[in-house]
Amino acid sequence: MLDTLVHNGVVRRVAQSVFTLFGVAVVVFVVLRAIPGDQITANLGTEAAALTPDQRAALESYYGLDQPLLTQFFGWLGNILTGNLGFSARAQTSVADLTLQALPVTFELAVLSILLALVIGIPLGMLSASRPNSARDATGQVVGLAGLSVPAFLLATTLTSVLASRFGFNPNGEPFARFFDDPLLNLQQMLLPSLVLGFGVAAPILRTTRTAVLEVASDDFVRTARAKGVPARRLQIRHVLRNALVPIATMTGLQFGYLLGGAVVVEQIFSIPGIGRQVLLGIQQNEYALVQSTVLVIALAFVLVNLLTDLLYRIIDPRVRAA
Amino acid sequence: MTTTDQIADVAPTRVSARGLLRALTRSRVTLAGLVITGVLTIVAVLALLGALPHDPLVQDPPNRLLAPSAEYWFGTDQFGRDVFSRVAAGVGNSARIAAVAVAIAAVIGTAAGLVAGFYRGFSDTAIGGVTNILFAFPPLLLALALASVFQRTWFTVAVAIAIVYTPIFVRVTRGPVLSLREIDYVRAAVSTGQSRPAVMLKHVLPNITSIIIVQVTLSLSWAVLTEASLSFLGLGTPPPAPSLGSMIFEARTLVTVAPWTMLAPGLVVVALIAGLNLLGDGLRDRYDRRGRGAR
Amino acid sequence: MSNGLRMTAIGAVVAMSLALAACSDAPRDEAGSGGDAGASEAQPGGDLVIGVTSDPDTLFPWRATQFQAVHLLGNVYGTLTELDENLEVVPGLAESWEVSPDGLTVTFQLREDVTFADGSAFDSEDVVFSLESIRDEATAAVAASTLARVTAVAAPDPSTVELTLSTPDSGLFANLATVNLAILSSDDTEEALNTQPNGTGPFTFEARVPNQSVTLARNDAYWGEPALLDTVEFRVIPDESSIVSAMQSGNVQMAVFDDPLVADTATSPDLTVTETPQLSYHVLQLNARRGPLADVNARLAIQCAIDRQQVLDTAALGEGEVTGPITSPAYKSDPDARPCPTRDLDRAREYLAEAGLPDGFALDTIVSQGEYATSVNEAQNLQAQLAEVGIELTFTPLESGAYVDRWIAADFDAAVALNGGRPEPDGMYGRYFTSDGNLNQVAGYSSPELDELFAQGLQATDEDERKEIYDQVARHLEDNAAWVWLFTSYTYTVTTNTLQGFVPMANGSLQYLRTAGFTG
Repeated sequence: MLDTLVHNGVVRRVAQSVFTLFGVAVVVFVVLRAIPGDQITANLGTEAAALTPDQRAALESYYGLDQPLLTQFFGWLGNILTGNLGFSARAQTSVADLTLQALPVTFELAVLSILLALVIGIPLGMLSASRPNSARDATGQVVGLAGLSVPAFLLATTLTSVLASRFGFNPNGEPFARFFDDPLLNLQQMLLPSLVLGFGVAAPILRTTRTAVLEVASDDFVRTARAKGVPARRLQIRHVLRNALVPIATMTGLQFGYLLGGAVVVEQIFSIPGIGRQVLLGIQQNEYALVQSTVLVIALAFVLVNLLTDLLYRIIDPRVRAA
Repeated sequence: MTTTDQIADVAPTRVSARGLLRALTRSRVTLAGLVITGVLTIVAVLALLGALPHDPLVQDPPNRLLAPSAEYWFGTDQFGRDVFSRVAAGVGNSARIAAVAVAIAAVIGTAAGLVAGFYRGFSDTAIGGVTNILFAFPPLLLALALASVFQRTWFTVAVAIAIVYTPIFVRVTRGPVLSLREIDYVRAAVSTGQSRPAVMLKHVLPNITSIIIVQVTLSLSWAVLTEASLSFLGLGTPPPAPSLGSMIFEARTLVTVAPWTMLAPGLVVVALIAGLNLLGDGLRDRYDRRGRGAR
Repeated sequence: MSNGLRMTAIGAVVAMSLALAACSDAPRDEAGSGGDAGASEAQPGGDLVIGVTSDPDTLFPWRATQFQAVHLLGNVYGTLTELDENLEVVPGLAESWEVSPDGLTVTFQLREDVTFADGSAFDSEDVVFSLESIRDEATAAVAASTLARVTAVAAPDPSTVELTLSTPDSGLFANLATVNLAILSSDDTEEALNTQPNGTGPFTFEARVPNQSVTLARNDAYWGEPALLDTVEFRVIPDESSIVSAMQSGNVQMAVFDDPLVADTATSPDLTVTETPQLSYHVLQLNARRGPLADVNARLAIQCAIDRQQVLDTAALGEGEVTGPITSPAYKSDPDARPCPTRDLDRAREYLAEAGLPDGFALDTIVSQGEYATSVNEAQNLQAQLAEVGIELTFTPLESGAYVDRWIAADFDAAVALNGGRPEPDGMYGRYFTSDGNLNQVAGYSSPELDELFAQGLQATDEDERKEIYDQVARHLEDNAAWVWLFTSYTYTVTTNTLQGFVPMANGSLQYLRTAGFTG
């Protein structure tokens, strides 16, 4: 077993991932401290000017800012390894708790977006590929182009303001409902944001599907099957799609990784309490531990998704192993 | 929004100016992209030169929120500023930021990719490590953090975007360079005693121009999108300079009263990104790894 | 109430809004009238949802400066004195008070049968504990300086508290009415209160979901008239436009905006917009201790070169009023009592010549971007106006953190600022313009005359006499062009028509949630 893992370069990949995460930790730590201001000024604003030196010292020790930077860094990293992600003074909760609340929300949003993207992207891609350079191909391509070109924030703001002011439809005005508390409301609240994100992700999936289908369709065994008289539709679904799944799966995995960290704007507009908003708020408030730990969690998720995709890919497609 | 779908998956080829011209004009897709981008580029250049019907910054309160007319082609905004002039200046601004950002990313990324792929060894490990870190950092958050660190000017916004996009250039160039260095004439050049940097620049670099050109085109559209998203979050081009993203943001509250304030920058930003995508797609098909495409 | 007023943490999205506009299609009330008088009476009960762009950044009252935190906590905690809707001092937890003839001893008679939300009784021990803790620097309470003249706090009996002062302090009673001087139970700790506020106000803290909502419930044991509403939820909707959407769809029944454009979009027959003039003021702070500005003539040149109405018109589209230094209704300065009440470029050039700078000079100015909507527009207009006399105002918009850093360090020639006002002029400007004030370094100006005037103001007890003294303070500030005061603006309170009895206040306080209720 271990041999196989080593042979497949898995151990190396894992080591690489650990190094990557450490690098992310360093970068986020440094960048945060380069942002002007600290948690005291973020909290008190210009009122911080009225603090006496003793008051300021009391606050610095309260926020742990009186520690040397290296102590802060390794203290934080050490805590992380023991599962302590730090404490958010603003929310008065541990960062771990906050993240446990926010991560599933973003995860759900990402899953729904990917599902919608697959539902839109795969059929359109197959439709496009079924008759290249025809009107239906053009339709598919135009939809794909629109998905790539319409910024998420534009689509999101247009949808909210028009739906709310014209039709009074605004599930996101309700308090956010978690899926297991109120699935119906939750899905309503997730509908628009995942539609917006899914539309953007559908484009590359559409394109990948189209290319993959075209490519597979020109392979020998499909030609043979066609010559044998296997009906076109069955052929497409059975053979072509199955073989096209590898690139689609890869693409989906990558997109999913990005969605975990890249949905800030959409979360903001639709009041979705996800991980992106958590980081944004943390940056605005100079909550160092909060931002550092959350970014690390996002990076971890990204690295894991990549690692899994990679492994999956190796399993599905034996040729990769040789590479 | 994401970057993975925008990786130039094309064969390494030496691109001549004439070949590029043919590639640009041969397919309808590329031509459409070329026309859209061309028109917007002209507008952008005129805007940067100041040749606009109105000053995009001057406020004229009595003439606020006027509907489009012969005088104000796209109407006026809440300060009585001419929306057409502002959109044009916004395109100029977006184009400038995107161009500079991609130029920086392309130069640094390609150089790093070349070195990593050609020299292998330590430089490869180091460059690969940094690239992985930048990849794992949520891209919008990286730009966001950088935008808050620097005193914001259009240039620092460009640099922030460039940092996010450099690793992509590293990744797309390194692979092909790896295989190119094993090609006979490159080996031969090295063995005849030509210096390695010279070989790299004379024999390897020209052969990855197809990749770079396609990647640049695709990156441009991504950079425009990112700049708009950053502006929308309040972290893009600092005001008063108009930016397509911040115009859309400001117009949100006006969309029911004066829809043109939203429609104009919205449609233009979509057109700009679509044009660049079409151009990129066309070029990608032309230089496709499998020689397919070029419809 | 919070000095150094902040709109921060509203979120970068909101921050970008530069927009301000004048007219509205929505019905707009006279300030303070709080709704349609003809409507039926508000009934007890009901749940109110207020849309806010941000979570309170702390629940600890002594360190709350953020807008959301201050006004939320104001409903939960009690203070010795309170302000009514006209910003007059009225009794709070102290039923009455007396000042000794020499002005150095203040005796508060406390209200009896007051309880904290946790059921414990309120008495003089809690007051002593609170005031002593606030004075202790280790607490880092932001209002510590308000008690700077207090030398001892004593509790002769459970319902009496005696303050000993080093010098008389006529401003004390108005300045005590801030949640930063809230009276906490002596059994409480900061740590406990951070998650479970425990006050004597008309509402009690019920629940919080970080970054999503804070819910208050009516305090049935409140010493005054109990509130009508069962609960008040502050729901976080980060995007102002999304708040408007939520009001239009009926999910949210109240919101307060600073940006008239946003309020304008709340056009619906079911919504009412109330415009309320604010105590906070837009100002060009000058640093009279740096470069050419050390010469009063250079500062006067700036003052004479600026048309304030033009700044207001271009930056805020006329939504506001040109102002002098003091904005509190009882002490309001005459905006025209200054050198060059209207723009006078010739006079400005004369002052420049007198300063020995006939060609003008450079003015390194800090401007925050995102703290409030109009800052960058103000800077642009000031830049254009000053350029006409050769004064070159240079600025780059700064992120909130960078702006605050430079503001605190007084690292600027000039600062475009929106500063919080207070109902009491000593509380408002004493800390800036007395030579030992804790913000004097930032204010950049002080003089023996001003020190003397502020001291007199604290000793005077007669209202007319005080008004006269603070008029002199204002005139001294304007004559010396310590800063250039520009204008005050409004807040826009949007409510559903069925919500009655809420009175918006000039200090932004939401204390009249306790009289608000739904009709029918």
